[in-house]
Amino acid sequence: MSTLLVWREKLQKLYAAYSVYILKGIQFVLGLVLFGLINSNIGFMKMASSVFCTIGLAVICTFLPTIVMVMAATVLILAHFYALSLPIAIVSAVIFILMYIFYFRFTPKKSWLVLVAALAFGLKIPFVIPVAFGLMGTPVWIVPAACGIISYYMVDFVKRSATALKSADADGIAASLTSFTKQVLSNKEMWLMIMAVVIGILVVNMVRSRAVSNAWKIASAVGAVVCLIVAAAGNVILEGHISYVSIIVSAVLGIALGIVLEFLFFSVDYSQTENIQFEDDEYYYYVKAVPKVGVSAPEKQVKHITEETGNKAGNTEDILLTRSLSKELGIEKERPE
Amino acid sequence: MLDKRKIRLMTRAAIYEKEYGEEDLKITSYYKKDYSSLNTWITLIWVTAGYILLGGIIFLCFGESLVEGLTIMRLLFLAAVALALYLALMILYGIGAGNFYSKKHIRAKQRVKKYLRDISRLEKMNKKKEINRS
Repeated sequence: MSTLLVWREKLQKLYAAYSVYILKGIQFVLGLVLFGLINSNIGFMKMASSVFCTIGLAVICTFLPTIVMVMAATVLILAHFYALSLPIAIVSAVIFILMYIFYFRFTPKKSWLVLVAALAFGLKIPFVIPVAFGLMGTPVWIVPAACGIISYYMVDFVKRSATALKSADADGIAASLTSFTKQVLSNKEMWLMIMAVVIGILVVNMVRSRAVSNAWKIASAVGAVVCLIVAAAGNVILEGHISYVSIIVSAVLGIALGIVLEFLFFSVDYSQTENIQFEDDEYYYYVKAVPKVGVSAPEKQVKHITEETGNKAGNTEDILLTRSLSKELGIEKERPE
Repeated sequence: MLDKRKIRLMTRAAIYEKEYGEEDLKITSYYKKDYSSLNTWITLIWVTAGYILLGGIIFLCFGESLVEGLTIMRLLFLAAVALALYLALMILYGIGAGNFYSKKHIRAKQRVKKYLRDISRLEKMNKKKEINRS
């Protein structure tokens, strides 16, 4: 365990030193996976579905805020839908606008959560979302999760019935509009998954914030099991086609992710828990204090046996101060020796 | 010689300017009440547009069954339900947006205050340095 904690400290230091590059790297990979999935699943517009477009969009979005990636993904989806059928593009655009009006106007910085939710569904690991969102976020995160699920199922529906939708376009725009809207909004599997994820996030968040020992582990396990039960029961009642293997695997992955997240963000030593009771004029206080686990990573001490030469000798104080400041601000550079 | 305190203050000010500076200055150029009410009105206009779009989508989905066998009483009932939902949405978003934007203004003002304090500290340090030099 102590080795793992040392590794965590090292990771933290590494992140502090190279956070800019690490974040940009993650953003690039996210963009690559996102645009790649969109183009490989619904690449109806040949020009937009090329590898150059995928990589180009990912590179551009790497250097811009995440909201731009969300907008680029939306535009790309709409372009592919437009290439397939105009009514589908119109209905999808309206659904995306509704998402913007009712939620994203308020928190544009959290828009990446929609991408993560949709990607998790695209990668067939849906129940990782309730655990991750419940542990790291607030109950309000059910909204971006639901928006991500709707987006995924809309794309999935178009992918599965592309041929039928294209031929339906010939019957007239009004008929296509009605039929597509009906089919998207009456997708039982979509509503079932939204329900499972929403309940999962709320359960995980509620358990996580209780003052019980191992709250994060219990929350992850309970959340994953609740999602599994809701999805399986709903699947039986609604006679759906959800793959049991997929939901079981994703629930197990969700629990594993919960343990990793706990290790990274909530490392405490429950064996050292202290229960304290005290009072003032108005209240009695029952306080539970759990100490954090912290291990400092061993630092390598390099002893220089060669003699320092040149003009450095005169400014030792300045050099030491510069080094300590650089270290504090995380801008330390390698010293040529 | 490098001044540790000054570097800290300058770094903090630069981080602030990069992260929030522009937006905060825009927000704090309004009084809290003005900022909150202006944005609440904008939100309500957006919500009205959204409600119309949502109504359109629902009509596309269930239009046929709603229009089938439509009587005046049923039409009035549907209109009343639509109006009630609209009012409920407006109240919900009105209160929510009011709280959200007034909290946003308070937070921005606190950040600006802290930033200005850092800047004035820096100015004092610079002046002191100039006096020492002369």
